Parts: sequence; C-alpha cells; structure tokens
Amino acid sequence: MHKSLLVAVTLLFVVALIAVLVPEPTAPPRQAAAPGGTSTDSSTERTDKSVERDIADRRGALVDQIVFTEEPDSGQVVGLIEAGTHHAFAQGITNTTVYQRLRDSPQAAYNVSYGANAELTLNPAGPTFSNGELNPFHVPEIREALNRLIDRDYIAEEIYGGLAVPRFLPLSTAFPDYARLAGVARKLELRYTHDPEAAREVIHREMQALGARFENGRWHYEGKPVRVIVLIRTDDERHRVGDYVANLMEEVGFTVERRYRTADEASRIWIGGDPKAGRWHIYTGGWIIAVIQRDEADNFSYFYTPRGRAEPLWQAYDPVPEFDELAERLQQRDYQSWEQRQSMMARALELAMQNSVRIWLVDQLNVSARSRNVEVATDLAGGLSGSFLWPYTIRFKDRVGGEIVFGSPGLLTEPWNPVAGSNWLFDQMIVRSLQDMALIPDPYTGLYRPQRVEAAEVTVQEDVPVTRTLDWLSVETAAEIQVPEDAWIDWDAQAGRFVTVGEKHPAGITSRTCVRIHFEQGYLERRWHDGSQLSLADVVLPWILTFARADENSQLYDVAHLPTFEAFQRHFRGWQIVSTEPLVVDIYTNQIYPDAETIVASWAVDPLPWHVLGLGILAERSGELAFSSNKADRLRADWMSLVAGPSIPVLERHLRRASERGFVLFPKVMEKLMREGEAAERYRALTDWHRQRGHFWVGDGPFYLHSVHPVSGSVVLRRNEDFPDPADKWLRYTRPEVPELDLDGPMVVEKGEAAEFSLNITFEGEPYDREAIEKVRFLLFDGNGELARQGNAKALGEGQWKISLAPRAIEALGVGANSLELAVTSQRVALPSFASHVFATVPENGRRPAP
Amino acid sequence: MNPESPVQPPARHGLMRDLRRLLVYSGKRLLALFLTVLVGVYLTIVVANMGGEVDELRMVQIRSEAAEMVRANPDFQDMPSEERNRLIQRQVELEVERLRLDEPFMLRSIDYLRQAISLDLGRAEQMHSDRGSREVYDIIVERLPATLLLFGTANLLVFFVSVFMALSLSRHYGSLLDRCVIALAPSSAAPGWFYGIFLILLFAFVFPLLPASGMVAAPPPEGTWAYTLSVLRHMLLPLAAMFVSQLFVSIYSWRTFFLIHSSEDYVEMARAKGLPVGLIERRYILRPTLAPIITSFLLMLVGLWSGAIILEQVFNWPGLGSLLFQAIGHRDTPVIIGSVVIFAYLLALTVFLLDILYALLDPRIRIEGGER
Repeated sequence: MHKSLLVAVTLLFVVALIAVLVPEPTAPPRQAAAPGGTSTDSSTERTDKSVERDIADRRGALVDQIVFTEEPDSGQVVGLIEAGTHHAFAQGITNTTVYQRLRDSPQAAYNVSYGANAELTLNPAGPTFSNGELNPFHVPEIREALNRLIDRDYIAEEIYGGLAVPRFLPLSTAFPDYARLAGVARKLELRYTHDPEAAREVIHREMQALGARFENGRWHYEGKPVRVIVLIRTDDERHRVGDYVANLMEEVGFTVERRYRTADEASRIWIGGDPKAGRWHIYTGGWIIAVIQRDEADNFSYFYTPRGRAEPLWQAYDPVPEFDELAERLQQRDYQSWEQRQSMMARALELAMQNSVRIWLVDQLNVSARSRNVEVATDLAGGLSGSFLWPYTIRFKDRVGGEIVFGSPGLLTEPWNPVAGSNWLFDQMIVRSLQDMALIPDPYTGLYRPQRVEAAEVTVQEDVPVTRTLDWLSVETAAEIQVPEDAWIDWDAQAGRFVTVGEKHPAGITSRTCVRIHFEQGYLERRWHDGSQLSLADVVLPWILTFARADENSQLYDVAHLPTFEAFQRHFRGWQIVSTEPLVVDIYTNQIYPDAETIVASWAVDPLPWHVLGLGILAERSGELAFSSNKADRLRADWMSLVAGPSIPVLERHLRRASERGFVLFPKVMEKLMREGEAAERYRALTDWHRQRGHFWVGDGPFYLHSVHPVSGSVVLRRNEDFPDPADKWLRYTRPEVPELDLDGPMVVEKGEAAEFSLNITFEGEPYDREAIEKVRFLLFDGNGELARQGNAKALGEGQWKISLAPRAIEALGVGANSLELAVTSQRVALPSFASHVFATVPENGRRPAP
Repeated sequence: MNPESPVQPPARHGLMRDLRRLLVYSGKRLLALFLTVLVGVYLTIVVANMGGEVDELRMVQIRSEAAEMVRANPDFQDMPSEERNRLIQRQVELEVERLRLDEPFMLRSIDYLRQAISLDLGRAEQMHSDRGSREVYDIIVERLPATLLLFGTANLLVFFVSVFMALSLSRHYGSLLDRCVIALAPSSAAPGWFYGIFLILLFAFVFPLLPASGMVAAPPPEGTWAYTLSVLRHMLLPLAAMFVSQLFVSIYSWRTFFLIHSSEDYVEMARAKGLPVGLIERRYILRPTLAPIITSFLLMLVGLWSGAIILEQVFNWPGLGSLLFQAIGHRDTPVIIGSVVIFAYLLALTVFLLDILYALLDPRIRIEGGER
C-alpha cells in the first residue's frame, strides 16, 4: 500500500517536474544574443541592407515590445545576457569584477557614462580643534600639496580597475565646461601632476611653520603625535581609496586613525557634526550627477564657500576674498560676455586648486550592460537609465521589431502620476518612453534638440550673455522687452480664470528674455495613446496646475509645491498663445542660462491629457487621493497612482461620474480651448482604454503602457503604431562620436628650425567631420613644465590638422625635452580628447654626429 | 462505590469549578503572553530606532536630500544663497513635520506601541506597497501570499517528508540509508540561500533550464494554467534550496526522537505482543509524541510569517522577508513594527493554543489543582 502510494507520488512529481521544466508556452521567443556582431560575410551584408530598408519603412519605435523586469542583483547581469533572457539593464555597473566579466563576454556589450566622482573632503577647521589637537588641513598649502601627493592614475587603474579616469578639478572631465576650458585644465593638471617629493617638501615646510616637530619619522605638536583621522566609506571602492590615502598620510609622518563607516554613520560625523570637534580630518566623499551639466559655474560656490550649504562644515570654509567673489559672481551668472565668463572660470579653477578643501580624485565610469546585438543611445552622465533617447533608438542590430527584456533594480518604487508622482530614476526611465517631449537633450552634449518644435526665437536683453550652438533657434537682443498686457501671468482659483499682465501690473512689466516657440505643423492633430486627439486644453492645463497647486484658495493647494512654485515665480513674467495653427507660444521670463537651447527647453511645457488629469483632480478635491506624497500624508489619503493599486477604483468611479455629467475641468477657460464634442470623445476613449489595460496612464510617446504587474515586478510597453516620426530620426545618437587622435611630429628639433606636427582626427577609422570639430587647441610646455605657447591647430581637410611652430617659438623653448599637448573638442560630444607629443630641442647642428 | 458514602458534589459543580480554573488559567496565561508581546514589540521599536539615534541620522539625510534636490534644480541656481538655504530649511521642516521628528522619541515610541498593540498598523513613512498603497496593512498583505506559497510548500514538504522518513529510519536503525542521513546531516549547517546561489549558477546559467529569480515570468502568462506553471518553474530552485538545506538535519532530529520513544518499555511490550508494525507506530510511538510534533508543526507555520530575508533576496522573491529587508533599509518603523507585531500576536496565540492542545492530547497534563 505504502509502496504504491510512494510510486504514485513519485510519478506525479516527475510529471510535474517535466511540465515545469518545459519552456513556458506563453513566454514569447527570446532573441539569443548574437556573438560578436562584427561579422562581415555577405549574408550579414544582405541582412544589414534589409534591416536598413525595414527601418526606412517604419515609424516610431524600432522594437515591438519592451518588458521591464525587476533584477536587483547586478552580479547576474552578464549571466542573464549570456543566457539570452535579458537584453539590457537599466542599472549602471561600477563593480570591477562584473565589468571585467562583461568586457570578456562575447555576447555582451556596454556603454560608458560619467555621472559619479570620488573626492577627498578635508576638514579646514583650526588650526587647532576644540580638543586642542592640531589640524594640518587648516593650512591651504598643505591641502594643495595633497594634490601632488596622491597618484590619481593609481586610483583609477588599480583601485577602480580602469572604471575611472583621473580628475583634478571641480569640473567633470566629461562635461562641456571642461572641454571648453581644456587648455586651462591641461595646464593645471600638469602643474598638479603626481610629485610626492614636492608635496612632502611643502608639508614639511608648513608643518614646521605651524610649530610641529618631526621626530623619529613622526610629526609631533606640543609633545603629542599629530593625529589624522581618515573617515573611510565602506560601501564601495572608496574603502580602498581611504586605505590608500591613510597609508600616504602615515608615510608623510602623521599618526593615522582609520574610521570605517557606512554612508549613514559617516554622514552624522562629517556633514552633521561640528568640524571644530575634530572627529575627522579626511573623508572619502563622492557625488552623483544624473544629467549632463552644461554650466558647472556654481560648483565653486557650492563646494568651496559657506554659501554652498548651511551645514557646519560649509560654514568652516574660508576662501580668499578673490575666490569668494568670483565664485559668487559665477553662481549668479554675473558677467557681461562669454569671454568674460571663461576667463573668470579659468581663474576660479586656479584658486580652487590653491584652496583645495576638496581633493578631486577620479570621475567614475558607470557601465550600462546590453546584449551585443542590441543598440541604444545612452546618456554621457546618466547612462541608460538617464537617457532621454533610449525609447527612440533601442533596437536589435540584425532585425526590426521583436521584444526587448530590460532588467531594472526597481520598478514602480513609488506611485506614478504626471504631476508629482514617482521621481525614481528607474520609474522615470519608463515614463520617458510613454511621453513625447517638445525638446530632447542630446545624450552626449546635453544640448536640447527639437522633437516636436519646428523653431524658436530667443530675444534677450542686451546685457545678458547667451550663446546659441544649434541652428533650430535664433538669438536676438533688445534694449528692453516689454511683456504684453494680455499675456497670462497668474491664475485666479476662485474665479477659475487666468489673470493678465495688465490686470496684475497696470503699469506694465519687462522681462530679461522672451522665448517664442513654433511647434511643428499638425502638433495638435496628434493622438493620445487612448486614440483621442490632442487639443489646446491639454497644452494649457499644466500651466493652470502650476498656479492652482500653489494657491491657498484652491482645493488643489499643496504646501509641498510651494518651493518649486516660488522659484518659478521669481523668473516667470507671462505667456501667451500667439497662434494655434501652427501652435506658437510666447513666454516671458527672467531666467537665464548660458545656452539659448536650455532657456527654450526649460519653458517648453509638454501637454498633459486633461481628461485623465481631471479624474485625478476630482479625486484630490474629494480628499480620496493626492498628487503628491506630502499632501497624501497630510490628508491620510493614498498617493495617486494612475497605473495600479487602490487609486484605480477611485479614478474609475470618477470616470463614470465625469462621463455621465460631461465634466470639464476649469470650464471658463478649458471649454473655449476644446473642440466640439471633445469631452464625450475623451471619456469614451478613456473608458475603453481602462477596460482594455486596467490602468489610466495615457501618453503620446513612442511606446504605450500595455500592462503593469506590481507584485511580480514587471511592466510591459508596446510600440505606439501611430507615432508620427520616422524610426531612424534619432538613430545616429547610438554611438558617442568621441574624436580619436593620432599626433605625429619630429622627435628632435634644432634651434633655428621650424617644426610641424600633424594630427589625424578620426572616428571609427573614418575622418572626423570638420564641421563638427569645435576647437583643436595646443599647449606647448618647455623643459621646466612652464607653458611657453598656446594656440589653435590649422585644418587641412579630411580629418587632417597641422600645428606649425615657427623658429622663434622653438628658440624660446631653450634646450631640453618639451611637450606638445593637444585638446580637441567636438560639437557632437562633450568629452574632450587629448594627445601629447614629446620632443627635444637641441642647439644648432646638435643633431650632427660627433666627429 | 459505596452507596452510603457522603453525597458527592454534583457534576455541575465540578464543571463550574473546572471552568473557573480554566478561565483563571487562561486569563493569567493570556496576560503573561500579552505582556511578553508588549515588551517584545517595544524592544523592537527601540532597536529599530536605535533608541532614538535614528532621528539624528534621518535629520542629516533629510537635510542632504533637500540640499541636493535644490541644487539639482536649475531654477534655484541663480538664487541668493541665503534665500536658497531658507528654502532648503522649509523643505526640511515639511519633512520633519511629516515624520513627526519634532516630537521626542519617547513620546513617539509610546504612540507606535499603542498603535501596534491595537493592531492599527497605520501608514508607512517611506515605503509603498508594490501597487502604490501607503497603508502598512496593504504593504504586508500584498507580500503574504508569495511567502506563504514558497515557505508553506517548502516547510510542509520538509516537515512531512522528514517525519515519515525519520519514522521509517527509526525502524531501520543502522541501515545504509540511515547512515547516509547521519552523514548528510551537517550539510544543513549551510543556510538555504547558500545552496540557492549554487543552484542558480547550475540550473539558470550553466544549464539554463530554470529562471534565476522572480516569482513568475515577465510578463506574467495570461491563462491560469500557464501562470501556475510559470510560478512552479520559478519556485523550483528556491524550494530545492530550502529543502536541501533543512531536510537532513530535520530527518536526523526526528529520527533520534523516534528512536528514543521506540525503545520505551510500552513499545517493547507491544512488539513482544506481536502487534503489527503500523499499529505500533501509530498508537505507541506517534500518539505519545504527538504533542512535540504538533508544537513543531505549529511553530513552523507561525515561522512562515517572517519569511527568509536572504533567501528571498537571492531569488528576488517578493515575500515578507524581502519586505522586512527593505523596511530596515528605509528605517520605516511602522512597517518593521507591523511585521513584528503580527508575528508576535501569532506566536502568542499559537503558544496559548498549544497549552490547550497539550491538555487535550495528553491526559496527564492538567491545570493546577487537578488530581495527581
């Protein structure tokens, strides 16, 4: 009896096991990662041609479906790509072991981004702490000397295993300001190059000046060893960086105490505590930036002056008056011309290095992993998760269509709504594919390029320094910009209408800029994902919400919205619709960015589907849901999610009611902006949409939200077949066109001779487009490391450039080993390229063999 | 019985007395258990907040987040620093007010305790359920089925397989299988997640037969059967990991337990009387040992509540263990307390239930005052 039962159970188990191990019938066939992708046989060529034909025939996204699935363990990334179950990963990889596996895998590929950095934060309090101990880092010269004591190449190559590049300055080496100031940067980098002997000399001199004595290889002050506490973060590679720095400090003669702490534990000490208490001297810090910063001028104020933050550490900063003033002026953009800004930046960089309350170590590389047969545009700062172009560019290299499976460390971390919903990086990454934007930032330069905009005209006051790089917009100056009386400047929540400039400021107002945005032809003929047509009401609604959520008289008032609104109000001077077909909008503001493209982008507000937002507004007014987390907590209601959870039945109920009553939001304004029968059409479409998909997220992007599975952790997007753009519109942005340099020239030059150096600039073996090269700057250093000459190279054509040094320039170098440094900047990528050539200058006839 | 003996107290009187004793005992026992729960939950509150130290950490974190938020927004960039700092301070105050960090920790801890004991789980401070609810109840209930499914299956499997295997081995003491089980018992020193890593490596990457992690395919199959099959596929590796890690030591301990009971005099007597083996097992071995078996079974069921933090992390299983892990990471006190207080009540209830069950299962166990 028992035996037969056992046999039956075993058989049942085996059957179940077979059933389980058979591939899932509903799982779509997965694309196995093709090895290499570099084959050049004829069949591949034919495939390439047919793929190109398919791309040319297609509109919208290049894949049919994208599945996001939760995969928090970055250690499995390579294995999952090799197994063919995943094609790309949202999270960046910083672990060197995983990176090495990724690099060695024939099925995997990766893109590199530069969003994080590591530095040493120094405690400048002193000269003695409240406990009487000496703080050597109170002395700027000692801090400055650390720049030469530390070997950044060692940190980048050995500690970070090649996943970092040395960084000396408070500017990211991958962002435009560094490229623009490449010459100055290079000069400073050479000045502060690794030279431990020189650093030790300075430290000895300054320590003795402080009254310390060097006995038996150790520094002593008032009879006690000079102690240096290194606060070492244990979370990542900074653990080893901390140990390396601690070892250096010991070698210099300090008595070192290593305190290993996690982020939270350390933050209480270095940022929360009083620096005068002497609980730390050096902290292994780090910062993350998720977007390319085209203007890093405020870094000086933030990192080096008490204005940066209110915490006690910042209040201990004491920059020299010249640096303090420069930092403040740069932060407030107080300069008359671009040239003036650049010269201020150059000086501020020098002073920052002399101040050195922070020792910048490396820019960390972040690797976005993908299958080798997948191509996608990643952002130079934000990687794949920070890329705005990923939904427009992701594709299989060998075919059009198919399904991409993304791994993401987190999904639906917070509720999704377009007003004040989840701001998490990985949620935002998905949301960006569901909404089309008027302007999209270039992933390699951060410059905005038009997506739904035809052109823009920026008018600025004559004293405002604004530059334009791209040709889709124009910049003009005016002595005064008067805001028209009928422009809208505010919202009257009680009356439910806009307030005009004439009503609010009868005497009239002026602004520093006026932005006129010409949206593309047929902008309002496009359709939302639920099939309903866009209207002016969708364009106006975001403006109303901005005001209504800050108005205490409004039921939508949200105290958490106030800070953002106040910043908005500081700059905003009015807006008006100039024409509806095509849509042209004027915006008057006082907000200035150095790039005209950024000014336009910051005011090109994207439309929101009023019929969806209306349901949310009804739910917030009734106190059932709230757009923001803060208001939800205050109301003890749920934070609104348009995609899942307890919000859905609430919104569904409001949809039924709104549909029955033909409800229109803010009717005094909105009804005039809607088409005949629009409300009924919208509610019908939304009801169908909700019935089919079970959620309320309606966008206009290249993908629509097909289904959401919160507990099992997956989200499915499908291609929006009605998307208007050709599929290859953004394809050229899948590879960063970093210039590749080949510098050649004589090894020995005699005095009295001229010298000529040739430079080849290429990208993937082809000559680099001349028009795309911004500048080829050279710096000539003599044998003492002093800058002897600088200038620009001359273009010869087809990627060929020439640097000619006249006999007089060679003569000025004297006899010795010289170095020619080149910095090339491109309009297509913010990352500058460097090359150097060492040559010797010898006396006349010095090359002749001795008799 | 002598019919002329003094009148016996009526049966009703005896029942009342027993009932009174039972009520008094139950009252005392429940009170003691309640106090234990009270102390346990309060200790959790204090530990989760490091005696109030977490407030300081949170303040630093809130300030840093507000400062970074303002700095990352280009709208604030040209703002004078005093104004910017005032703005940051206002943001900080909003968050401090939301989290009630302006109140002393002692006061909040009492409030946490009051809410927890009355099972008013309240709202999470940082976390949301996967569907987007901030109610701690929703957050916990959402993860419960996944934990019950995986750990329920694994533990029931381990429990019944090990009890029956142990019973069988106790009959075949010294056999090859018995010696193998003894030899393999130390393998349980390694936890389930440890085997899990190897199983993932082997069956998900070297021989890609099974999924490496998750509870169901992405996107989840639409049909019920396909969905069930997908869940089964995903369960197989974590289940195997737990099974392998717990089975041998469990068999070993039950086997030893049964061996001791198998050598009792009354069992030997039964054997000597020539009773069938099955009858001896059921009536002479299993029945007297029912109390510890049931204790172990019920405690195992209660233990399901907490899931397994690391195993769920390794297999990315959306259960209560990973929820607790996230809650600790976020320092979300209400979620931590919510998980603990439910566990504490379940445990107390189980202990109380076991007290009653012992008396029902074993006639020798009586409330104080019973005949000896």
